[in-house]
Amino acid sequence: MNTTNLVEILLIEDNPNDVELTLRALRKNNLANNIHVVNDGAEALDYFFATGKYHDRDISLTPKLVILDLKLPKIDGIEILRIIKNDARTKSIPVVVLTSSKEESDIIASYKMGANSFIVKPVDFDKFIVTVRELGMYWLLLNEPPR
Amino acid sequence: MTNYKIKYILLTLICGIAFSLSANPVYVVVNIPAADIAIIRTITVASEPDYPPFCIIDKSGKADGFSIDLIKAAAKAANLKIAIKIGIWNVIKQDLENGTIDVLPLVGRTPERELIYDFSLPYITLHGAVFVRRGTTDIKSVADLKSKSIIVMRGDNAEEYARRNNISANIVTTNTFEEAFRMLASGLHDAVITQRVMGIELLKASGIKSIKPLDLQLNEFRQDFCFAVRKGDIKLLAKLNEGLSIIIANKTFDDIHLKWFGPTLKEKLSPYDIIKIVLYTLIPLLILFFSAYTLLLRREVKRKTKSLQQEVLEHAMAATALKNQQLLLAEMEKGTKVGGWEYDVAKKEFTWTNGVYAIYGISPSEYNIKGKIKYGPARLYHPEDQKILDMAFQHALNEGKSYDLTLRLNSFDGKFKWVRTAGNSVLREGQVVRIIGNIIDITEQKETEADLRKLKDDLDKLVEERTRELNEKVRKLAKSQKAMLYMVEDLNAVSAELKLEHQKMEAANRELEAFSYSVSHDLRAPLRALAGFARILQEDYSKSLDNEGNRILEVIVDNAKKMGTLIDDLLSFSRLSRQEIKLSLIDMHGLAKSVFDELVTEADKEKIEFTLHELPEAMGDPAIVRQVWINLIGNAIKFTSTKPIRIIEVGFFPRENEIVYFVKDNGVGFDMAYRNKLFGVFQRLHNVKEFDGTGVGLAIVQRIILRLNGQVWAEGKVNKGAEFYFTLGK
Repeated sequence: MNTTNLVEILLIEDNPNDVELTLRALRKNNLANNIHVVNDGAEALDYFFATGKYHDRDISLTPKLVILDLKLPKIDGIEILRIIKNDARTKSIPVVVLTSSKEESDIIASYKMGANSFIVKPVDFDKFIVTVRELGMYWLLLNEPPR
Repeated sequence: MTNYKIKYILLTLICGIAFSLSANPVYVVVNIPAADIAIIRTITVASEPDYPPFCIIDKSGKADGFSIDLIKAAAKAANLKIAIKIGIWNVIKQDLENGTIDVLPLVGRTPERELIYDFSLPYITLHGAVFVRRGTTDIKSVADLKSKSIIVMRGDNAEEYARRNNISANIVTTNTFEEAFRMLASGLHDAVITQRVMGIELLKASGIKSIKPLDLQLNEFRQDFCFAVRKGDIKLLAKLNEGLSIIIANKTFDDIHLKWFGPTLKEKLSPYDIIKIVLYTLIPLLILFFSAYTLLLRREVKRKTKSLQQEVLEHAMAATALKNQQLLLAEMEKGTKVGGWEYDVAKKEFTWTNGVYAIYGISPSEYNIKGKIKYGPARLYHPEDQKILDMAFQHALNEGKSYDLTLRLNSFDGKFKWVRTAGNSVLREGQVVRIIGNIIDITEQKETEADLRKLKDDLDKLVEERTRELNEKVRKLAKSQKAMLYMVEDLNAVSAELKLEHQKMEAANRELEAFSYSVSHDLRAPLRALAGFARILQEDYSKSLDNEGNRILEVIVDNAKKMGTLIDDLLSFSRLSRQEIKLSLIDMHGLAKSVFDELVTEADKEKIEFTLHELPEAMGDPAIVRQVWINLIGNAIKFTSTKPIRIIEVGFFPRENEIVYFVKDNGVGFDMAYRNKLFGVFQRLHNVKEFDGTGVGLAIVQRIILRLNGQVWAEGKVNKGAEFYFTLGK
């Protein structure tokens, strides 16, 4: 069984510190099972559409939740949103934008492109943990995605 | 028969005299031009059937007789048409009276009849006679008739005569003479009174021989026979008279007379008769002729007189017209100060109209009395002008040249005048015989001209002055304009600069946006890592660290958090200037209350004496106005925290056209010396140890209020509290 096929959460984040902190927060909340991390936009698209290094991935197995940073190398978060929300295979995947910015332009653009949530990463780590727990609980446990 | 002839001659004589006597008055009274009568319709004449030889009926039943021939001839001479009808005397007499006919040819003139008819010249005079049966002897005088029974024709002269003179007590009337004679012949009554000539003729015609006229003179029964017209028909009467005069004058009368009375006369002429004829016929005829001639002469004289009178009248009218024209001229000269003059070369004499005298200032009578030579108009003119006038006059006189001069003169009554005088020569056969001219007083005109000239000069001066002023103004204006142009240029330069600045500013804004975007992402990520990993260190390795180590870690985490807040504040502050404003009505009271409730902790709530007045509504962007209340009320809570009794009051007061809102507290206050720094970014009047804060809050308040076109200011005293006021622009 290929681990990538069992992914529950796809974390798209280029900053390794943030990846570590996010994973720690998820882990602390027992939500860290089957997390897959990609570090740039291009890799994220390869993952979604089973191309490049993910060519052997079963495209029908979609993650339960995508946590998306906006500032990404190569292809940024807004562009990824636009692509996956315009593709029938991926459009129903819940995407939570988790980013440093509180910029209104980002918020508006995200929702416009079909983001399901927009959450700012708090500087305070305690708050960050609470935030991650809440979003994980909601999207993974409470939310009932379409099958 | 001879007897009869002599009587006839006598009759004629009497008739002629009577005619000549009566002709004059009749003629004078009636003088109607022939033309008028020409219009008259056919004249109807009515004749009797049985008054021989004057009016009878011929064998064909037409009217005939002396009177009929006479009226026919007279009518023809007078150019009248006539129609003759026949009727018995009493009827036709009536016909004339009521206008059915126009003329009766044979009417004896009596006083009674003059009331109802007008009569022509008498053309024959007849006497009445008394006719009796032969053998009657008891009638020798008129007086003898008194006891007799007398027959007369009704309406005849005889009846009138008999009744007028009361001849008899017993007068019988008949319709005709013939009836009267027949009655007498048959032995009825005693006598018939009628015209002698007619009676004899009638007896002869009707073959009655038993009746004879008496040789008795009836002095009162003498009759002038005339044509009769209706009373007042003067025109017709005149015409008939004229015709009668003409036929008498041209002998037609004689021919007719001869026809009816004459032939028997010549047959038995004796020398005695001849003398008688000469005496009794020719003389009356001559008289008759001369009468007619006189009539014609009179007519001619009258006509001439009339034409002369007409001529005199025309002359008089012409004279009057001339006089009127002179009056008009004089009148015109009076009004216009114009005169006309004439110089007669032969007589060497001037004639002036009143206008000339008026201009020279002297009356005609005065001038003539004092003498023309002594006071010749020559003395009046200005010496220079006199020379000019003399020369011009001489030229006119010698060469026939016209002149028209404007000259100065001093009139007799001592007035200075300007005159204009013109002279034109009248030539006859190449010689100047007269000079006629006019003179006009143009003093007023000259004065007016002078006034006008002065007015014009004044105006010119004024115009010049105004022009100068205007030019000065124009010059100044041009200068100003130039200055303005420079200013406009400057302005253009400035606006170009401004545009450039604006572009720069926009670029800067864009940069700022990119900068703040970068800050919000890139500055926070390391902070988060710092805080996050410090926390991980604390969590996972606190046991390995001593107390000092753990304290230092805590400091790191705190500072990281603080920096996060700082970045957030800074970003929201910078965002304010870029954010769009959405105006709506704000419930300020509700907003302030909710903000206070949100900010205050349960613990603080008990310690703070919070007074919120009823605030009026305001226009603004509710989101950013909320931020104002947050910052001001937040400050009040914060800066009263050190006080045992904390008082916060939120209220308002109206000022001019706006509402001033305020937040007052009894907190630490501030030194008014630093109030300028109060609203600056990162400016703090207290250190962080005393009061937490980034120094951005009031800067945000000010920026919001300024963006809403309001005002914000503060008053305070150290330890005595602070008061913050703001208004929201309209």
